[in-house]
Amino acid sequence: MLLFDIVFNGNDSMYEEAVKACDEAIAKFGEDKAVGFPETAYSLPCYYAETGEKISNLKELKEALAYIKTLMTRERRLDSGFKSGVATALSAEVIEVLKYIDGAQPYELPYEGHFNDAKIRELGVPLVTNDIPGVAVIIGKAPSSQAAVDLVKSYQSQGIFVAMVGECIKQIKEMDYKTGFGVRVVPMGEDISSVVHIVSLALRAALIFGNVKPGDKEGLQKYTFERINAFVNAFQPLDEKTVACGAGAIYYGFPVVTNDMEYTPSVPKSLIKFEDVTQFNPISLEARGIKIKITNIDIPVAFATAFEGEIIRRGDMQVEFDGSRVDCFELVQTREASEVEDHKIEVIGPDIDSFEVGSKHSIGYVVEVAGKNMQSDFEPVFERKFHSYINCIEGVMHTGQRDMIRVRISKDAFAAGFRAKDIGEVLYAKIKNDFDAVVDKCQVKIYTDAEECTKLRHELAIPSFDKRDDRLSTLTDESVDVYYSCILCQAFSPSHVCVVTPERLGLCGAVSWLDAKATNELDPAGPCQVITKEKPIDENLGAYEDVNEAVRKFSQGALEQVTLYSIMQDPMTSCGCFECICGIEPFSNGVIIANREYAGMTPLGMTFPELASMTGGGVQTPGFMGHGKHFISSKKFMKAEGGIERIVWMPKELKETVAERLNETAKELYGIDNFTDMIGDETIAEDPETLVAFLTEKGHPALGLEPMM
Amino acid sequence: MSEFKLTTVEEFEAATARLLETGAKVGADAWQFRVKNQTPHCKFGEQGICCRICSMGPCRITPKAPRGICGCDAHGIAGRNFLRFTAGGSATHSDHGREICHTLHTVSPDGNYKVKDPEKLIRIAQEWGVETEGKDIYDLAHEMSELALLEYGKPFGIQRWLARAPKHTQELWHAAGIEPRAIDREVSTAMHMTHMGCSSKPEALVRQALRCGLSDGWGGSMCGTEFSDVMFGTPKPIDTEANLGVMVEENVNIIVHGHDPSLSEMICEYADDPELIAYAKEMGAKGITVSGVCCTSNEVAMRRGVPMAGNFLQQENVVLTGACEAIVVDVQCIFPALGPLSKCFHTKFITTSEIAQMPDSDFIKFSAETAGENAKAIVKLACENFKNRKPELVHIPQLKQKATVGYSTEAIKKQLDTVTNSFVDKTGTLMPLVDCVKSGVLRGAVAMVGCNNPRVRADSAHIGLMKKLIENDVILVLSGCSAQAAARAGLMDKEAKNLCGAGLKRVCELADIPPVLHMGSCVDISRMMVLASDLAMDYGCNISELPLVGCAPEWMSEKAVSIGNYVVATGIDTYLGVEPQISGSSQMEDLLYGGVEDWVEASYTVEKDIDKLGDLMIERIEEKRTALGI
Repeated sequence: MLLFDIVFNGNDSMYEEAVKACDEAIAKFGEDKAVGFPETAYSLPCYYAETGEKISNLKELKEALAYIKTLMTRERRLDSGFKSGVATALSAEVIEVLKYIDGAQPYELPYEGHFNDAKIRELGVPLVTNDIPGVAVIIGKAPSSQAAVDLVKSYQSQGIFVAMVGECIKQIKEMDYKTGFGVRVVPMGEDISSVVHIVSLALRAALIFGNVKPGDKEGLQKYTFERINAFVNAFQPLDEKTVACGAGAIYYGFPVVTNDMEYTPSVPKSLIKFEDVTQFNPISLEARGIKIKITNIDIPVAFATAFEGEIIRRGDMQVEFDGSRVDCFELVQTREASEVEDHKIEVIGPDIDSFEVGSKHSIGYVVEVAGKNMQSDFEPVFERKFHSYINCIEGVMHTGQRDMIRVRISKDAFAAGFRAKDIGEVLYAKIKNDFDAVVDKCQVKIYTDAEECTKLRHELAIPSFDKRDDRLSTLTDESVDVYYSCILCQAFSPSHVCVVTPERLGLCGAVSWLDAKATNELDPAGPCQVITKEKPIDENLGAYEDVNEAVRKFSQGALEQVTLYSIMQDPMTSCGCFECICGIEPFSNGVIIANREYAGMTPLGMTFPELASMTGGGVQTPGFMGHGKHFISSKKFMKAEGGIERIVWMPKELKETVAERLNETAKELYGIDNFTDMIGDETIAEDPETLVAFLTEKGHPALGLEPMM
Repeated sequence: MSEFKLTTVEEFEAATARLLETGAKVGADAWQFRVKNQTPHCKFGEQGICCRICSMGPCRITPKAPRGICGCDAHGIAGRNFLRFTAGGSATHSDHGREICHTLHTVSPDGNYKVKDPEKLIRIAQEWGVETEGKDIYDLAHEMSELALLEYGKPFGIQRWLARAPKHTQELWHAAGIEPRAIDREVSTAMHMTHMGCSSKPEALVRQALRCGLSDGWGGSMCGTEFSDVMFGTPKPIDTEANLGVMVEENVNIIVHGHDPSLSEMICEYADDPELIAYAKEMGAKGITVSGVCCTSNEVAMRRGVPMAGNFLQQENVVLTGACEAIVVDVQCIFPALGPLSKCFHTKFITTSEIAQMPDSDFIKFSAETAGENAKAIVKLACENFKNRKPELVHIPQLKQKATVGYSTEAIKKQLDTVTNSFVDKTGTLMPLVDCVKSGVLRGAVAMVGCNNPRVRADSAHIGLMKKLIENDVILVLSGCSAQAAARAGLMDKEAKNLCGAGLKRVCELADIPPVLHMGSCVDISRMMVLASDLAMDYGCNISELPLVGCAPEWMSEKAVSIGNYVVATGIDTYLGVEPQISGSSQMEDLLYGGVEDWVEASYTVEKDIDKLGDLMIERIEEKRTALGI
């Protein structure tokens, strides 16, 4: 059969299924029954992205099917093939959304099904930083369970996000392979229609980060084609529906690699046939133009960003280092070149194999670096990376920072031969790799001797941390001469620019002023550029001519001006990766803040995903602004509108996270004690009336302020 | 970023109209006026039934006078005229090729001409069974030049290049008795056959027309193309610009026009010479701009990125700008009108070849041995002429488009390598193109070639057809004035992908090519023959089975007929927008529009309605797909 005919037939089948499912649902629930995926502000995301129309009930869903039918042209031209591919995806989305009707939970672990918006935003930063260099979609039954595991593992070890559909899921489960969003191996579902959830991820990325207007088909396709590094591996035997989905994937720019040598012809760079599935990984990477940054680290277990979210439970644990119980710390120290012997790794104290299984110990590691361009200001920048470095080790979990760390090593890692010096290998390799412009030599000392740890914690680490805190507390927007731009996200969000100041870190929470400074030092032509602040327009607003010029330049003219301290007047834009979003709450003259992890309702009548969908993509939406968690306690937080005393509501968890520092700031600025007690949360109010009543009772200062609009 | 937009034929015409106003001021003649004077054309001539071969005539065939004095009928007369037309074209191309072979004979490491692509020379030598091991590349070049020159007059055997064709094609040629022997012999045979009292049988005349065409495309032209590549470099993708707006008002403008790259390459070389640039500045200009007209332009654009001022019917326009210091010509397609026209301006009309000598020109004889001196003298002369400009007459229409050109067969393969997967595919083949065609992503290909002809609104057929074809996922390879029409319109800008169907658009994006590929000058249609052969061999089918057709919608010259004959004889159906002068003979029509299919599996189709011509090509391509089961 001709390729286009296969696509057309597959599209017809998927469409018929969708129509049938929709009709059945209408018969059962009636036309007015609500439909939608959980925790997304994008309605049926693929349909919304393609058409600009949101679907809320079965009647509209039925109408959507009529639209989908118009895409199903049947000319033997690629245009028809592509349209039918899109129609197949949209039909699959209809099928999938109907599974969620009436509050059903069609997918249970290990199956993921629909991704909520928070997960997509969470993937934003690693995608732009290339920590997730690509997205592999694996469909069907591998030649063997081992082959399935090998393929998945090959991608996982490169940091590639793996989504699985169909038989291969059972195959890797059979082999006890660990899956889940945290380890970036995600079983989507058994039916081929569940593949639409990954399409939904790609298309929402375009809406969230790319500021593609829903319904702008061309812009959408261009975005996915140029920016989303996804690809498909489909095992034989292919069938019509899978090929029709493949046509959709190819339309969006995602090549398909298959071992079915007979079913379809090949299409260069798009539909690639190769019998030996052990080669799927390099074939796919080359086809999608994905380059893996190789950090070859000589350790007995894998090292990849995919393991960053891996959790090691007590039962799986060989040994634990716990800073909350015993003395632990991690530290970077600048030394003279003569004091550092490059790649020297010393373990001072007993190694892991002398510890009892499941026991708790002290650990301290000091990374000593030397380099002509090294500055002590970079020490905390490197140090903050340790969390990610150590977490990327397969079978090792790391939490916390400074002297409040916890490190767990799994039994599997230990069995594979992982020992204390391997932590040093990782730290050495990553520091040298990531900071080669400033680090000429690097050595690592790992202390497992409890007495040494106690001594060094108090004599070396804590004094260093204190010194840094002193330095940080003097770092204010006023005390520095320059700010930095950060356009790290432009690979994804082409018109967004962050202006990073000492008191306002990047909205993703990942780039502080010191980070930006170091990044600039490492790569002067890179994403962080110096912005002078010599031409103030209005210091209260944080408006500067130089800042505007920079923003104009780095956004390629998309943005004219921003203020640093106002959310009402030219607020800073967001890429979509923001940790938090704040929005004005008109009844109380205040603002509410919601964080990405918060899944519930806010008093604005919108969830985080809904709030987030109003900003992002590099556009200015006065009254709404994305920002990092740490910015909440900053004296510069919406300073132009009066500052933090405007904050009237936060999810409880977020409130607890920021309480200490926020209270400190409130005390300093307004002399208010325990300010966070005056701030509402979801346990107090999820609607404005209850909230205002609560604020009134507490005498919240916002009530007495000028209205913001 | 400015929005990409094609330049329309209307815009071309408005620019021309403005230039004709300048012409009117100085009393210049132009082809537009001469066409009027020549219309209506002689019907006997148009139908090919006027015989002037002996002095008993001329004889003209009418219903009342169905035979000439010797008794030859309309079929014999039209057939003879057709064969002579072919012989004229074949001789012209082949003689161009011969010049190149002679130039190859002069190459030396410190001479005017060098071997720029030694690998290609070695590859051809190996193809011809010449020992290359341990041989100095220049000795090899001289040896190859002699062997190539022997192809023109060898007493026995057939053309060496035929071995590049698929076996099936070679067998067809053999069976049809049309394998070309020595290149010159086929022209001589054609002249002999058409002498008074020789052949008057259409079938025999057409057979020789095909053979004479093949001696061009698979003989003389191929020598011209291949050895030009050896000396001047095999073209690879390069960016340039096209249309009159490439001329720079402040600079000394030198236009190179004609066909043989030996001259134009040298002119370009010296126009870049700092000494001469300084001289131009001394003369009051800011620099020197060389731009091209006609196929010479194609040659230097493909190899050097020299901008293309215009095609055949633009040649008078470059002078009408009033900013052309010199128009330097060699051979073929040069209007004698340029002589008188140049006298209306300060322009120097410089002829250089004994082949093309014209009144009202400065003749500077150009030879391979003295090429450097000649070129230098010409550039100097142009610089000195800058001060003679009449500022009130200067107007350069500011129309130009970006173009990526330089797609030799070698370059196309290299570009296709970029879409292969190193774990799956072999490189250096046309398989990616085959796969695109098999899967239906591309429907097929059209080789569009040929001239301009005032019988067709200039460039409208080329551009109209190209737009239609690319919308239908048909990729184009172009040469000659057709290629320049595309470049001037903007179709060679990679952004033209947005005018394509989804399939061709995706191919353009993935392979990073424009949808219409510039393969060179008219001699370079030999490249297309090699491309078609390799495509058939990579596909595993016959050339005639490929969803590929040829098209010359605005052709006019004898060369075009020779080309048409070898393209058809190679198994590629060829679509014409201008009728060959044979319509006075039903037998000739039957042969060319159908009968030859029995010999070579392809024939001609003529359709003057350009839109229909496009439909017919697409229809044929789809028929071929169905036959292949794709």
